[in-house]
Amino acid sequence: MVNGVLRVWVLLLIPLLGSCGKGDWQLSEARKNVVMIEVTAQTWDYRLPWNPGTVSSSRGAGFVIDGNRILTNAHVVSGARYLTVQREADPRKYPAKVLHVAHDCDLALVQVEDSEFLKGTSVLPIGEIPELESVVSVYGFPIGGDRLSVTRGVVSRIDYNSYTHSGRESHLAIQIDAAINPGNSGGPVMQADRVVGVAFQGFRGDVAQNVGYMIPTPVIRRFLKDVEDGHYDHYVDIAIRWMPLENPAMRQYYHRPNDGLGVVVTDIFSEGSADGVLQKGDVLLSIDGHSIESDGSVRLDGQPVQLEEIVERKFAGDTVDLDVWRNQALEKRKITLRPAEMFSMYENLYEEPPRYVLYGGLVFQPLTANLMAVLAGGADLRLRQKYTLFGQDQIYRETPEPVILSSVLPDRSNVYLVGLAGQVVREINGRRIRTLADVLPALGSGGDRTVIRFEGDQRPAVLKKVEVDQVMPRIMTQYGISEAHRTDLGGRRLAKGSWKKEGEGK
Amino acid sequence: MRRLWIGMFVWVFLVSLGMGEDDSRGSLVRVRASIQAYDQFRPWQKKSPFGLNGTGVVLPGGKVLATAALVANRTEVGLEKPGSAEKCAAEVEAIDYEANLALLQPTDRNFLKGFSGVLLGPALRAGDKTEVWQLERNGEMLRNQAEILSAGVGRYPSDEAGFLVYGVRVSLPKRDDSYTLPLMKDGQLAGMMMGYDRDSQEGTAIPVPMIEHFLKDAADGKYEGFPTLGVSWSPLRDPNLREEVLAPKAGGGLLLTRVNPRGTAGKAGLREGDVLLSVDGYKLDEDGNYRDPLYGPTAVGNLIRTKPTVGSPARFRISRNGKEIELNGSYDRKARDEVAIPTLQFDTAPKYLVVGGMVFQELTGTYLQEWGDKWSERAPQRLVELFTFQQEKRPNPERKVVFLSQVLPSPITLGYLQLSGLVLEKLNGREIVSLSELAKAVDGVKSGDLVFEFRDEPGKLILQAQDLPSVSEKIGKDYGLPALRRL
Repeated sequence: MVNGVLRVWVLLLIPLLGSCGKGDWQLSEARKNVVMIEVTAQTWDYRLPWNPGTVSSSRGAGFVIDGNRILTNAHVVSGARYLTVQREADPRKYPAKVLHVAHDCDLALVQVEDSEFLKGTSVLPIGEIPELESVVSVYGFPIGGDRLSVTRGVVSRIDYNSYTHSGRESHLAIQIDAAINPGNSGGPVMQADRVVGVAFQGFRGDVAQNVGYMIPTPVIRRFLKDVEDGHYDHYVDIAIRWMPLENPAMRQYYHRPNDGLGVVVTDIFSEGSADGVLQKGDVLLSIDGHSIESDGSVRLDGQPVQLEEIVERKFAGDTVDLDVWRNQALEKRKITLRPAEMFSMYENLYEEPPRYVLYGGLVFQPLTANLMAVLAGGADLRLRQKYTLFGQDQIYRETPEPVILSSVLPDRSNVYLVGLAGQVVREINGRRIRTLADVLPALGSGGDRTVIRFEGDQRPAVLKKVEVDQVMPRIMTQYGISEAHRTDLGGRRLAKGSWKKEGEGK
Repeated sequence: MRRLWIGMFVWVFLVSLGMGEDDSRGSLVRVRASIQAYDQFRPWQKKSPFGLNGTGVVLPGGKVLATAALVANRTEVGLEKPGSAEKCAAEVEAIDYEANLALLQPTDRNFLKGFSGVLLGPALRAGDKTEVWQLERNGEMLRNQAEILSAGVGRYPSDEAGFLVYGVRVSLPKRDDSYTLPLMKDGQLAGMMMGYDRDSQEGTAIPVPMIEHFLKDAADGKYEGFPTLGVSWSPLRDPNLREEVLAPKAGGGLLLTRVNPRGTAGKAGLREGDVLLSVDGYKLDEDGNYRDPLYGPTAVGNLIRTKPTVGSPARFRISRNGKEIELNGSYDRKARDEVAIPTLQFDTAPKYLVVGGMVFQELTGTYLQEWGDKWSERAPQRLVELFTFQQEKRPNPERKVVFLSQVLPSPITLGYLQLSGLVLEKLNGREIVSLSELAKAVDGVKSGDLVFEFRDEPGKLILQAQDLPSVSEKIGKDYGLPALRRL
């Protein structure tokens, strides 16, 4: 696990504008095209979900690619309200806008409208995965000064790693031993005038030294291809769990010879790509023609990588072909890939405003990674377990989006309810709550009283509807809340769930 | 620092002098316990031993009262006379880890001859002046002035529900044998100190009504323990909630949010959603307090746990759907004792079974606590879930939780090494509900596959039965296991 994200720090140093002339020196291609991105961003506050959030400034790097676009990290521009771009050879700061942002692979595209900006720039070509031990150069604007900085290192490791910006995703990442510090984020990693990666994360100094990570070009290419149609879709996921087939007794049990090939499928997630295609106990022997070793690796461009890498490079609707050993017979299976929406709860959210429903001082919020982050240690065990076991136990089949009574805003009308904050809502007025969208209609149903029941052995919360209507204006004024609820999911999709099959309507 | 010590000494000297003829001789004895707990992560061995030194109270008749925490997981307990170094081993005659009390009997019945013993004193109230006694190295008594700050239901170290506890303000100097100390009033025992915070100079004491209950129970040689109701409840002050559950307009009562059908309340007919109005004739208010003749408003916990004994009749008045009903039953401990996953176990060797390198254990609260203070975050989440919510997840006490705790590397566990914390459900298709049953099932298979099915990923693990005898023996030898099972 990567513990420390290379978040861009707030730097309030003012660049020394007067000191540089205008593009008349001999600059390398890289130095011509690397830009400093200064961002003023807003971060939502999940404690007070109705607030517009805190404003902060930070600095990162980016570089000019084809189509008058600048490539950078998603975490450099996430939540951006205003951003400027500046080149080393041109002291002017050009306002820019975010074209696309892909939080799952931490990449974003930025564009400057002023054509003046492009004068003197070229396009940095995108290369391949560099060789292990080969030397690369990292460009950026890390802490320690205001001007462009270049550091150098060797490629240390090419492996799957978690992308901490999203909190949920793992993709191919390349570890290098060049110093990568806050402000390097989004800068190009170059080898022989070609971009071989985008610097994006590292460890804090107290955890490890000289371990920096860059996003390799297969991930960059996939992102650029994905946005060709004008919008970014999510990564797709095969949505299975598998286990290495290394144990001799296990191999014998599955009737596999000792050839060092194959992994056994241990779980298939409902609603995932493989749902209905694969079964527990299937032995996967090859994927798109690549043999799967018993540790789950395949050879790709001569490098051993995890079998998911085959899926990683594809898009929604694409297929993978699998050789499956089932009931002592070889079967050919085709899987049509789609994103794993059911796990979107584990994804850090950046752009969309937090959703909530306010009811007589009671604040209902869907369970999200962002909410868990603010509840942190204070979350009670039932809530924490709901969160950790949500994917593993496929809780989404019953409850695609658990709803939490996240806080109770103290008011004379709810003095006895304050202790209920942090509980998982089970039903409101007899209606099962499966997503935040269920809350408002359920609150409107029933008799004179609203009865909210929670999971476990907690007492119910009971409110008189007449009273709630009376106190709402007061509470909203007192706490500075302009909207009583915000429930629109935006573009995000949740799991469909499968409770209808058991005969109960939504 | 030095001045302080001199000052302290003078003060102690004066206090002792001021008491004139010492009535404290023959009342206290040093208790030396050597402690060695089982290692829950390596269940075949014990952890490093250490010693605990406390002060026990000699009771008339020559038995000694101490806290249970002092002698938990003991290998040996010894008594030592204060004025001399004369020693004698002691047996634990009765022990209650929930109530944190232990009754010790010297193996030499004449060892405490000449000790007059201490009588139990009256129950105390907040504001009462008392003393905490400590033994000096030379056997002299150090009497520290103390004051009762509070008397109410609070947490005990190894209990989840709560008992009556005194909050005590006292300034205790650092002395040996202070792990347990008596709280005294006019030469009589008023309580046993069980916790002390040097910074705030406040401590907690087990009050005399608890001690009385414990001694009465232990007197017949068959110790049963403190009863429990087996319910979860919520205060019922919220007028909206009262209306919803049709609680009596006159007020009072608490809301039962869960009732264990095996417990005292469940067997008497109480149900989830009932409003409990009174217990044994004592009315309960909306916060779950009854009016104690001595302590005033006191949590219901004291009423149902300290006052009755196991087997004594229980009388409940409830309101169900607005109708008031009387229900009768009898107090027991089944809600606490008859459970799938025991809470805390002391002095008990953990069960385990090594199968070709796979180590299986039966889940206990003690195992989970081995993960440290943050066990609920650190321990495998499935085990935490089953333990914490066992009334929902494992209501049947017969269905123990058998889990794979670790895998010792061996030729046949290749590929299984990183696995741990996996709950076992079946072996060769047969459901497994206890470790001894697993052992029997494994022993019954002489050749062919052993298919272990787990609750979670990776689901199935396979071993070959014919490999087991030789591999198990080798593992026992390589890792120095004294035995491959304890069931």
